[in-house]
Amino acid sequence: MKFLSTLIFASILSTSLVAKELASKVHKLNWEGLEVVWVEDDRFPTYDLSVYFADGALSDNPNRKGESQAALGLLTTGTNRYKQKELVDHLEFFGVSHGPYVTHEYSLYNVSGLVKDSIPTFKRLCHMFADTTYPKREVDREIKRAKDALTNMVSDPGSLASRAFRELSLAGTPYAYPVEGKLRDLSRLSSAHLKDKLEYFNKNVAKRVYVTGPKQILKIKEILNNECGWKGKEANFKREITFSKEFSSKAPEIFLVAVPGSNQAQVRIGRFLSEELVQPREAVELLSTYLGGGFTSLLMRELRSSRGLVYSAGAFAAGQKSYGRAAIQTSTKNESAATLLGVVRDLLLELKEGKVRDNIFAVSKGRLMGSYPFRFEKSSDFLQQLIYLDHVGVKYQRFLDFPDYLSKVDQAEMAKWGGQIFDWNKQTIVILGDKSLAKQLSELGKVTVVGYKDFL
Amino acid sequence: MVRSYHLLLLIIGLIVFSCAQVEKKPTLDGEERPTIKLEVKKWELSNGIRLLVLENQTLPIMSYYTFYEVGGRHESPGTTGATHFLEHMMFRGSKNYPPEVFDSTIEKFGGSTNAYTNFDMTVYYESLPSAHLEEMIEMEADRVRGLLLVPELVEKERQVVFEERKMRYENSPDGKLYLRMMQEVFKGTPYGGSVIGEVKDLEALTPDNLRAFHDRFYVPNNMVIVIAGDVDADEVYSLVKSNFGDLSESSELVDFKKQTDARSRYEFKSKKIADDIKLNGTSPTPLFMYAFQGLPVGERASYVMDILSSVLGDGESSWLNQSLVKGRRAQLSSVYAANYTLQHNGVFFFGGELARGQNLSKFKSGLQNLIKGKMCEDAITERTVQKTKNQYLISFFQSLKTNAGAAHFVGLRESLFGDYQEYKKEVEIYESITTDEVKKACYEVLINGEGIFLSIWDKHKEEKGSR
Repeated sequence: MKFLSTLIFASILSTSLVAKELASKVHKLNWEGLEVVWVEDDRFPTYDLSVYFADGALSDNPNRKGESQAALGLLTTGTNRYKQKELVDHLEFFGVSHGPYVTHEYSLYNVSGLVKDSIPTFKRLCHMFADTTYPKREVDREIKRAKDALTNMVSDPGSLASRAFRELSLAGTPYAYPVEGKLRDLSRLSSAHLKDKLEYFNKNVAKRVYVTGPKQILKIKEILNNECGWKGKEANFKREITFSKEFSSKAPEIFLVAVPGSNQAQVRIGRFLSEELVQPREAVELLSTYLGGGFTSLLMRELRSSRGLVYSAGAFAAGQKSYGRAAIQTSTKNESAATLLGVVRDLLLELKEGKVRDNIFAVSKGRLMGSYPFRFEKSSDFLQQLIYLDHVGVKYQRFLDFPDYLSKVDQAEMAKWGGQIFDWNKQTIVILGDKSLAKQLSELGKVTVVGYKDFL
Repeated sequence: MVRSYHLLLLIIGLIVFSCAQVEKKPTLDGEERPTIKLEVKKWELSNGIRLLVLENQTLPIMSYYTFYEVGGRHESPGTTGATHFLEHMMFRGSKNYPPEVFDSTIEKFGGSTNAYTNFDMTVYYESLPSAHLEEMIEMEADRVRGLLLVPELVEKERQVVFEERKMRYENSPDGKLYLRMMQEVFKGTPYGGSVIGEVKDLEALTPDNLRAFHDRFYVPNNMVIVIAGDVDADEVYSLVKSNFGDLSESSELVDFKKQTDARSRYEFKSKKIADDIKLNGTSPTPLFMYAFQGLPVGERASYVMDILSSVLGDGESSWLNQSLVKGRRAQLSSVYAANYTLQHNGVFFFGGELARGQNLSKFKSGLQNLIKGKMCEDAITERTVQKTKNQYLISFFQSLKTNAGAAHFVGLRESLFGDYQEYKKEVEIYESITTDEVKKACYEVLINGEGIFLSIWDKHKEEKGSR
């Protein structure tokens, strides 16, 4: 075992050196008021770029939820100069991948491609940001497609369960509503609204560009400044929100989202987390790994290896800037749903009592320690890490010192946070499956049955 | 391997990967067009194990892949799912690494491990800090020579497989449709089974069945090992030789494969596969697949069909997207085309989802008219073929950005073609494919050929005996 510890230590030490070297490749630039974070990487002739906008779906008009997602997602519908087909063909000719990622708190527009094609790519992208007109015919068609996709979500039980779970577990918070809106919202979107929204992102919202690639990618500066118009200090709005939720329940809330004819029950268990519960970042990450990370987590061992109840089981607890979420996600055959919930309940109660399994704890900690260098393997992954750190206001050094922080987390600390975050009585339990499950679930408490269409 | 050959467009561009060497070739327009030469060290042990090593000292990490050349096509009637079931059991303990020790050890190192099974092969992989190279090799060797197959754990894993089956197929209209499409297209051939396995077969598989399967196929002359990362290739060779070198090759397997790999077994049993199959599933609007007989991997014509599938169905600007999804009267919410090339045969198919309010039978006849009409002429142009090649190039770079990606890349070719350097030939082929060739393939496969149209919808009736 001593030999093993030495090996792990040696591995972390060399990673630490690499991390420091990598940190020296992170350059902060100022392009006429536009903040840029460049991770220098000349291993490949490719680039990955993300434009960070400091606002997200929380900015949407209450009557037009989903408009941030739609405004950024429908940039290729047409401009004054180019039709939809011309826009997508130009970008796809260069093999460019692009698209938005909208959260409640912030939004990203991600672009990747070959450096040699970056100039014509960004000229076209900036043209889209500056001049998209959202032609009515195109918008109407895309709204219909989005509606069809939502209506058909019942054929993807995992995604539907997660969608319902978000709404039910975050009920009463600003974060419950899906960023892409619901069927009723989509009908209210119009070209004029989308143009207003895009202008808001362009002219009002603070933004920062994150890019990784060789030095040649920096040639896009003039295009971003002059053709996207992203410069100066006028666009400075940053979404800030303070919200807390009190939990008074003495038992978990149980919801059955009924989908007729399903022969497998999707299970989601979790809750809203206030800011303070996600501050001990390393302890919370260790908790996630202990409960539901990898094959050897507590849930996988108990639900899959020991009982054969599930194919997979995962858990996470993590935070955005102003809130966090905890979730356990798995699925099982209908007849095992109550049994599975009983096992999970007992495991969470065990954690609340401060009981941590030595072997699983050691594996989880070793896993996080040892896997640390993999966070640097792909520059694009590293870039996403930096975006997250900046968004939540945590210094990069904390990430670079992750092994040091993690090494100090002991079983008692992890159990302390685990007991609070995954307190059984504060969880929202969502089962998506056939309505006949209601009877067996009632053994665990009061069950509220809701139709799946409520979440579309 | 659905269009995995997108990864192979090494035609232009520059790659500076630690285990790759850049070569620059002059071109007609005077611009230097670098291509790639992967730095791979290869050995073949006396017992038939092929070992490939890619050194990359960028970070103290590595990825380890093992390709066993056994898949669903090697199963016999009544044992469907055995290959995949065995893959699960490979994580359930071996002589020196009892149940729960194998994966715990890897994860405690900071690693991760998993596997996948398809019709042609079973692939195991680990990524972990390279300081643990020696133990990783010992562990992999131990589960070849000393797999436990504890009956109690076999029973538990059987339930896990059933859960996987429910998740991927029974409760997924996409999965159910795909499974049936493969069974129909390859009916009567070894590709006409089910990798996940039929329920009755899975229920009947015993530890002895799995043991026989393991003993027959998990032998050195059926393995390719690839290790990429911060390792010394000569040290890797020594370790692999000391851990695997005493395993005996199987002459029985050689004889067995001569029979099972006979080309005639994989040929389509009928030249005409036209049919219309309706399945019931939880999809409020119909999903469809329209499948045509394809070609095996490695033939020039199958690479041409890769490009054909991308021209027709990859990306928003593709012809099918513009015609059926983005057009004035959108008939579909989504559409795609794919060329799935297996080792001994293949299938070319379209798929998509009908827009709400569209009539399925009208759509089907409309699609057939569209394909038989001017599709091949309109869709395939110099620009769309070049666009596809550009897109492949990016995919290729993306796939080589990690040790795991590089290891998988070379291992797949070594296993399929017996030579990882086959990628060079692939490059040349892709580079030389012309617009006319793609058009010709379009006519031959889609206009002169006939296809099976399958759909799944909540309004279709459940077939008798389906599960």
